[in-house]
Amino acid sequence: MTLRLFVLDVPENGAVAEVAQNEPGVQVSRIGPYYVIESSGRFSIDRRATGCRHAVWYSCVAGLSGCRIAQFDKDALALEPR
Amino acid sequence: MTELEHRVRGVDHVAFPTFDPAATVRFYRDVLGFPVVHSICAAGWGPEDHPDFIHFFFDIGNDDRIAFFYYFGLPEPSTSAKGDAYARFTADTPDFFVRSRHLAIHVDTEHHLLEYRRRLDGSAWPVEMQIQHETIESIYTHDPNGYMVEITRALRPVTPQEDLDANLTIDALLDIVETPGAGLDALLTRKAELIVERAAAWQDAHPVVEAPEGPVRA
Repeated sequence: MTLRLFVLDVPENGAVAEVAQNEPGVQVSRIGPYYVIESSGRFSIDRRATGCRHAVWYSCVAGLSGCRIAQFDKDALALEPR
Repeated sequence: MTELEHRVRGVDHVAFPTFDPAATVRFYRDVLGFPVVHSICAAGWGPEDHPDFIHFFFDIGNDDRIAFFYYFGLPEPSTSAKGDAYARFTADTPDFFVRSRHLAIHVDTEHHLLEYRRRLDGSAWPVEMQIQHETIESIYTHDPNGYMVEITRALRPVTPQEDLDANLTIDALLDIVETPGAGLDALLTRKAELIVERAAAWQDAHPVVEAPEGPVRA
């Protein structure tokens, strides 16, 4: 099952999609005003690479399809198959 | 869903009790500079043994007001470990919960925010925190009654897609909140379904307007 992470396209969240796009096996597309970050397997996004402040970081997830949050802390957001 | 006409025009007043009207006037009028704009001196009346009271109002901008009741001779109902003049809590109540109810007053610019910071820092009620959240910057203190007061400015305008996102969040919340044990994971899973159902159609109805980078130039 495909793992899909939805992130709203607002200025603060752009870096989340950009960093995710550089992860192996991860594709970024769009549906309406949301980024759709998807992969066939577990993937993670490095917070420091995004440059997101904590308040932005901890509120960047808009939706989860086919996956659950395995890690969400000051270091990384990791998604694993549900 | 029926679209209801939206006719309200902001806060007329929000009202709180005080047991220390002198400090309350010093804080709002003399430190923050909020003018006194209305007051009522009332004799107690009615079937209950209602004390005489003063109901007084400060202008918080935009013709909105914060108001207080001072009841002559009324003792504080409780003086437990945490809380304010209206509500008290036991020592083991989490601080985030006690602070969750607060009043946030808007300013337009960083200059104005820092001016209120300067006024508070020169008083008996200095700023306790200055924080940049996602898209706002705020200062916080507690007034003489223990009420948490926030003064906040927007770092950028709210975008139309944030209104869509807020509505999808609330619809997802209403769909899952009655399910025993449902948490954020259940909400985000339901919200993903609503995004797939509605986001593309929303985009078609809302052509992209590029937000200006930084200050708008004339």
